[in-house]
Amino acid sequence: MHLPRQFSRRGFMKLAAATATGSAIVNMSPQIAAQSLTSSERTLLLYAIDVAMDAGADYADGRVIRTQFEAIRTREQTITQVQSTDSFGINVRALVGGSWGFSASQILSRDAVAKMARDAVRIAAANNAVAPSATTLAPVDVYPDADWVTPHSIDPFDVPLEDKAALLLRTNAEAMRVNNIRFASSSILSVREERLVATSEGSLIKQTFYRINPSVNITAISADGSDFQTRSAVIEPAGRGYEYVMGLELSGNASRWAEEAAMKLEATPVEPGKWDLVLHPSNLWLTIHESIGHPTELDRALGYEANYAGTSFLYPPEDVLGKMRLGPEFMQFVGNRTEFGGCATTGWDDEGVAAEFWPIIEDGVFVDYQTTRDQAAWISPYTGITSSHGCAYGQNWESMPFQRMPNVSLLPGEENLSEDDVIGATERGIYIEGRGSYSIDQQRYNIQFAGQVFWEIRNGRKVRMLRDVAYVGRTPEFWNSLDVIGGDRTYYLGASFGDAKGQPMQVNAVSHGCPISLFRNIDILNTG
Amino acid sequence: MAVAKGLSADDLKAISDRILQLSAADQCRVRIDSRWRGYTRVATNRITSAGGADSTSITITSVFGNRVASVETNRLAERDLLQAVRRSEDMARLAPENPEYMPELGPQNYQPIQAYYESTGELEPQTRAEAAAIAIRQAQAAGQIAASYMDVRAGSSSVATSNGLYGSHASTGVAYTFTSRSPDGLQSGWAGDEANDWNNIESQRVADDAVRKCRDWRKTALDPGSYTVILEPTAVGMLMLRMMNTFNQRTADEGRSYFSKAGGGNRIGEALFDDKVSIWSDPDHRDAETSPFSADGQRVRRQSWVSSGSLENLFRSRFWAKQKGVDALPRPSNLIMQGGTDSLQDMIASTGRGILITRFWYIRGLNPRIISYTGLTRDGTFLIEDGKIARPVTNFRFNQSLAQMLQNVEMLGPSVRVAASENSSVASPIVVPALKLRDFNLSSVSDAI
Repeated sequence: MHLPRQFSRRGFMKLAAATATGSAIVNMSPQIAAQSLTSSERTLLLYAIDVAMDAGADYADGRVIRTQFEAIRTREQTITQVQSTDSFGINVRALVGGSWGFSASQILSRDAVAKMARDAVRIAAANNAVAPSATTLAPVDVYPDADWVTPHSIDPFDVPLEDKAALLLRTNAEAMRVNNIRFASSSILSVREERLVATSEGSLIKQTFYRINPSVNITAISADGSDFQTRSAVIEPAGRGYEYVMGLELSGNASRWAEEAAMKLEATPVEPGKWDLVLHPSNLWLTIHESIGHPTELDRALGYEANYAGTSFLYPPEDVLGKMRLGPEFMQFVGNRTEFGGCATTGWDDEGVAAEFWPIIEDGVFVDYQTTRDQAAWISPYTGITSSHGCAYGQNWESMPFQRMPNVSLLPGEENLSEDDVIGATERGIYIEGRGSYSIDQQRYNIQFAGQVFWEIRNGRKVRMLRDVAYVGRTPEFWNSLDVIGGDRTYYLGASFGDAKGQPMQVNAVSHGCPISLFRNIDILNTG
Repeated sequence: MAVAKGLSADDLKAISDRILQLSAADQCRVRIDSRWRGYTRVATNRITSAGGADSTSITITSVFGNRVASVETNRLAERDLLQAVRRSEDMARLAPENPEYMPELGPQNYQPIQAYYESTGELEPQTRAEAAAIAIRQAQAAGQIAASYMDVRAGSSSVATSNGLYGSHASTGVAYTFTSRSPDGLQSGWAGDEANDWNNIESQRVADDAVRKCRDWRKTALDPGSYTVILEPTAVGMLMLRMMNTFNQRTADEGRSYFSKAGGGNRIGEALFDDKVSIWSDPDHRDAETSPFSADGQRVRRQSWVSSGSLENLFRSRFWAKQKGVDALPRPSNLIMQGGTDSLQDMIASTGRGILITRFWYIRGLNPRIISYTGLTRDGTFLIEDGKIARPVTNFRFNQSLAQMLQNVEMLGPSVRVAASENSSVASPIVVPALKLRDFNLSSVSDAI
């Protein structure tokens, strides 16, 4: 595992402590996987790389990717969908001069693969002719025969559909027992992604990823039918096996979530104005994703996403790296592709770079971006880091890999405060749990986030439920208002399966860990 | 007609028939989606990615009694198809009963719709590159930096059931968008276009507009508040795209929608919006054509949703229609809003103080009870004073009920097809006018450029 040169001893100790919170650094040793990719696909992929190099590529890499989804969805006592999806194909990315070309095929014949490889080279050459550019690939170790599998105990695809259906229907039934609950829907989406990556430099890496996304949504309707409220986002997706779902105790917790939905009908509309905010990690992770994760993507900062996802306030790199303060001294953010249970956790990335963790914000100051092999050199004069942080990912066999977000997490505080300690430090505030509506501008300044459950805090205690709350702010000021953070025992991983970027748009699954956190004097809107 | 991209009508039929032959289920449905996608992306004044791929996927739905399961595969060899059929049957046997399942449809008469344009289906990568070169040249000539994207789709789809239903459809689409920015990062402009027919894409106009907006826009301070706004058609389209899913009868009848009636039922027939507002969908609308059938094989036809401000209808599944004793109505696959005759210049000239908005970004739902959304202005926001554009102003976040917005319509321009998707891919066709609206809530300032 690489440790970036500038990583301080103090920072490393903090990170090591935080990673231990997640129970273990991901086991990097080979594991047995239920892989369906065979030696013939390995041979085809190596052939594709050879064809690309023979056709004039200066460098080529490629992937055979098989993605399987299984979705089971329910509402009340009805199964609304049982669906399985299996998508399989091969791709090659070629570098000619300084330009990339990419091609993909769902036909895995020798002829089709050779044509695909030559197409990638032809497109790269054509792009280079329109506007020649220089590309420097960061150095990388070669892994000629590597394996990695998401740590898991139970393959979700081995669990019978009836068992999943029974769990979901039981969860809905428990929710429906609560007064005023009229609707309950739930689902489990399971993903198995097999990925064989080869590079013209000699790496050949086989990996199998498991991700799982359980979901529950409960609706309460007032007795006179004049109002309705929902409780959703009660649980998080994870890069784990089915044992994760079993540990969530969905049906056991359903009545609590349902009671929260029903209580929202009677909750007091929030009074707009300045409030302190205690953000539970189930709410804060998405704010981290939008306001720290996205602006620290290097391609975005340099204009590569200007026509869609936008640019970044963290620009130009030479003016902000090591200079821009984004929060208090105790605020530490890491990019981490090794976090246990993370949706963006991996053994190697799509360019064969080994997973690592590195500081993005150290002692409150912005110190590094997320990078791929062709990006590291863009900022190495300012960071001193010449290697890639391993953030290349393409959504599926049809998709060209580019820089995607790793797990970006806020480390817990050294004082190891509990949730009660953090609430206790709040005289007049609002406690927010669960993610709600979220929106941020294209340079990641103006944030507006809602939530699921809101409690008014008075004199260090939760006193009554509020509703229709959204918090608004400007990213640097918002993070500089962070005053108290919880410890390891409040640390929690939130996640999304739907992080969108690129044209054609690709989605990425990513997690963000954080402790419970207290922010002072934040603008609150009433969205009712 | 013969199509250059995607499986031919004969191939679609042959594969569908073969799968239905292999099926041992009580009922079976086969959906095939066969498409080609080509794209060219520009950033920092160079082509950063370009490519294309054919992709065919087949979805097989097997039914035993009320037990239903679907399997989607992109492996098309005979043995793979057989395996997918058997897997869907195995899953269906294991699936719990679905009491809302409706039997597969029999033969339907679909409206023939010409949605495949050879100009698009046969578009060469070189033509895409030439459009990209126009953007780069135009930006460079103005000392700006181009970022653009052209998304081209062409293909065919079909639906077949074991009860004798069969339909196939071919279509094309192009979306072209262009953001031009100043090298110091202080100015930004955007323009876009979308069509089924490549000949209707105005790449030169898009390049001119984006570069002009970038030249003219540089943020200056203005307080947030409630303003008269003039939304260019793209901005209107990005909001109206969100309306498509709200016309849902079941959620209305269940009491969880703006269209729910107090005490039960829905508000069909009620005057809810300004009488200048009429909204419909039509799979045969020129250059916004869509498939004449839904995913489950229902006929899709011209359908009014709002007529002169009154809610005319809401879409409903076959199950919900049966519960309510009415005909099923598939959800809209495009959205058309009645336009007017006012030009953008007329709207500006009639405005004492207001804000002209080019487009929006990051639109997300806030409160479904009032169809309220939040989002931000982007790439060209201008203050209007005394009938003229006075100066460019900062970007804003809005928090706005779309229902209230449609009650506050003052003027309408001619309706045009717009690139309404935030990610600039070819989307459900949206055909809308520019609108002048009173009391639009711009709630906070955004420093983004």
